[in-house]
Amino acid sequence: MVSIFDLLKEYIDSGRIKLDKSKVQHTYTVHDPCNYVRKSQISFGDNYGELSRWVAKQCIDESLYREMCEDYMNNLCCGAGGGAWAMPYDEERLTYGKMKVDQIRDTGAEIVIAPCHNCRDQVMKGLGDEFKKGREGFDMGNYKETLYTWELVSMALDFEPWSEAEIEAAHAERDAQFERDGVELEEEE
Amino acid sequence: MAEEAVKEIKVDRKHRKIGNIAPELADRCYTCGTCAGGCPATGLVPGWDPRKAIRAIVFGMEQEVIDSKWPWVCTLCGRCQYQCPMGITLMRTFRACRSARERDKVPGPIHKGTMMNLERGNNLGIPKDDFLFLLAELGVEMENDEEQPCPGFYVPVDKEGANVIVTINSKEPFGEPDDMKFWWKIFYAAKENWTVSSENWEGVNWGLFSGDDASMKVQVARVIENARKVKAKTILYPE
Repeated sequence: MVSIFDLLKEYIDSGRIKLDKSKVQHTYTVHDPCNYVRKSQISFGDNYGELSRWVAKQCIDESLYREMCEDYMNNLCCGAGGGAWAMPYDEERLTYGKMKVDQIRDTGAEIVIAPCHNCRDQVMKGLGDEFKKGREGFDMGNYKETLYTWELVSMALDFEPWSEAEIEAAHAERDAQFERDGVELEEEE
Repeated sequence: MAEEAVKEIKVDRKHRKIGNIAPELADRCYTCGTCAGGCPATGLVPGWDPRKAIRAIVFGMEQEVIDSKWPWVCTLCGRCQYQCPMGITLMRTFRACRSARERDKVPGPIHKGTMMNLERGNNLGIPKDDFLFLLAELGVEMENDEEQPCPGFYVPVDKEGANVIVTINSKEPFGEPDDMKFWWKIFYAAKENWTVSSENWEGVNWGLFSGDDASMKVQVARVIENARKVKAKTILYPE
């Protein structure tokens, strides 16, 4: 079992993926999901606070990085954790999230990197949308968008298409799989 | 009257359990208020904050905590537990309160989703055929992408001997399919030997949040079983 950060670090360190820091040029900050940082520390004795920032800094120049919380072990929950995103308590979730709104405003960053599906939904569709709608007291400053960590990595990727031989081998594997699973696509080519 | 109330306190000091839920060490609470002061949810549910909830349990009023909205508006973020000077496991305690809630009174869709997952292999009940067809279609889209074509890309399903097996968050095939391409593009660039399961691929474990340990374990076991089936070395859990 590996976390996304371990795998991304391995890809980057080994040179299996190459990242181009010139592709995204906006100020950014990194949110700390409770599960990857504080609760990981409590449960497993280690956390991803440093590594999460490191991966983001491989994708966008460090000069554009804006810290959200030096003390990441005590960073605030996005407000939708523990299943709250799916629960019928929207007002409580948004009032809770107001503290995250203030934190994001104070960073001055345009992009919030969220390494968690749930946090991303809260920051982007919960807090971000309310801010854009002009909800009273919701000031996220320079905020423009929220990205998953892996979304940011995919945007910064610098890669070449595979070779003819690799493509041919992949197509053969794919066709065998489709036949096994009974998948039929309409031909467009 | 006062004596009646005192009889309700059930403190088992040997096992450090109070009542029927297990708020380890809760009777050590000094009522300092560190938890309530640092909790972003303090004030969201009138009458409740972490300190009050712990005190209520120590006084034998655990049912009131279980019946309240508190354990559900609390996001189980763990700040209170992390900072408690007496080492009280507040987060675990509040999750135990969720477990003690009757299943048909679990708020929102998380219990229904958990049951759906047990029955059909993912929280949203996406049928296998639809899932496989979607993956195939998205693969063709990636191959022919105008900005960044990935010729040779497809989504390997149940691939024997894959290095990495990945779980999927059902919200993506359900409503945000293009978001799956972020990881796929990374795998393409890294030339990873990876795969997805055709069944029981759900990565969102709602049993964790609904306090349903038995279902939570079933789901974890399925993820591990899927990896064993194709002899994958690594499970990537992008949650």
